[in-house]
Amino acid sequence: MMRRAYGSVAIFAAAAAASAAGPATSYMADPAASRLEFTGVQEGAEFKGTFRKFTAAVDFAPDALASARFDVQIDLNSLDTMDKDRDQTIRGPDLFDIAHYPTAHYVTRSFTKTAAGYTAVGALTLHGVTKDVPIDFQFVSAAGKSKIEGTAKLKRLEFGVGQGDWKSTSEVKDEVKVAFSLVLKPAT
Amino acid sequence: MPNHDPPTRYTGVAQTFHWIIAALIVTQFIIAWTAEDLPQGMHKLALLGRHKSVGMTVLMLAILRLLWRFKHPPPDLPSAMTPVQRRLARATHIAFYVLLFAMPLTGWMMSSAKNYSVSWWGLFTWPDLIGKNETAFNILKATHDTLSFILLVLAVLHVLAALKHHFWNKDDVFVRMLPFTKSEKRS
Repeated sequence: MMRRAYGSVAIFAAAAAASAAGPATSYMADPAASRLEFTGVQEGAEFKGTFRKFTAAVDFAPDALASARFDVQIDLNSLDTMDKDRDQTIRGPDLFDIAHYPTAHYVTRSFTKTAAGYTAVGALTLHGVTKDVPIDFQFVSAAGKSKIEGTAKLKRLEFGVGQGDWKSTSEVKDEVKVAFSLVLKPAT
Repeated sequence: MPNHDPPTRYTGVAQTFHWIIAALIVTQFIIAWTAEDLPQGMHKLALLGRHKSVGMTVLMLAILRLLWRFKHPPPDLPSAMTPVQRRLARATHIAFYVLLFAMPLTGWMMSSAKNYSVSWWGLFTWPDLIGKNETAFNILKATHDTLSFILLVLAVLHVLAALKHHFWNKDDVFVRMLPFTKSEKRS
């Protein structure tokens, strides 16, 4: 009884603190104007891929980092590296294995202000593995339009993306760069 | 006094270019034929990566070789050769030079058209020559394949001709491209 009362007070205090800083604004990324890209290295040369289908729910305000939250759902089947053969290989059982893991999911946990913008730490679930991936981004709000642009780096093998031959990093590097640009629209 | 006598042998540099490029081209055929039989996968990707690095090496050597040749004309053909034979020899050599450039360039463009940029041994990446274009890729692949067949036929003729010169005509046409040998006046 006592513990429960104490818990309620704590929740009330946290809510008060959040409201003092102002709540984050809720947005949805405009699918037509937003992009989510990745860059891998194969045979020493970079190649770029895009996810054509993803949704991003963004709660953000520069003065309300405590209540900020990104929730991104990615349709892995929508990947496009501008080569059908490569796309099929990446969708296949040894890489994304989309027959078993058709989507990836990213949810942030905490935000911090940095010199260049913001850093968020969130959990990425990809290929059935959940691991923390930090993202660096900038929030640009001008003329009533808000935009988030950022980058991340991850190691594909930490998520098991690379079975069999593809476990080797001699032909396809482990590190994959991610870049995103989210054009934000108020969530309805 | 500078020596104005026409050269009787290829220079050591020309010989080096010839034999290194010849060895690289043999390597290219072996890699290409091996890769062709492989299914889409990492081994094929790896082999084609090597094929591109070797090909770009050939292209760079071909540029240097051509520059060297402009400054250092090759020795004259034996006087015993007929005008038709001379024309054939000359045409073959010109065709080789054209192919030394056309093979790597069509390969490079193929890679660009398929959106697989060409790296040089992982050290740096060459710029894409054309944009992603599937039709262009198919045409370039057909061209690259056809040129490789022509190159193969020419190479066989070239080797047979060199051997004929050496064993049949008993002139120095073969030996003068061979390092660590001396050309005797055989014709």
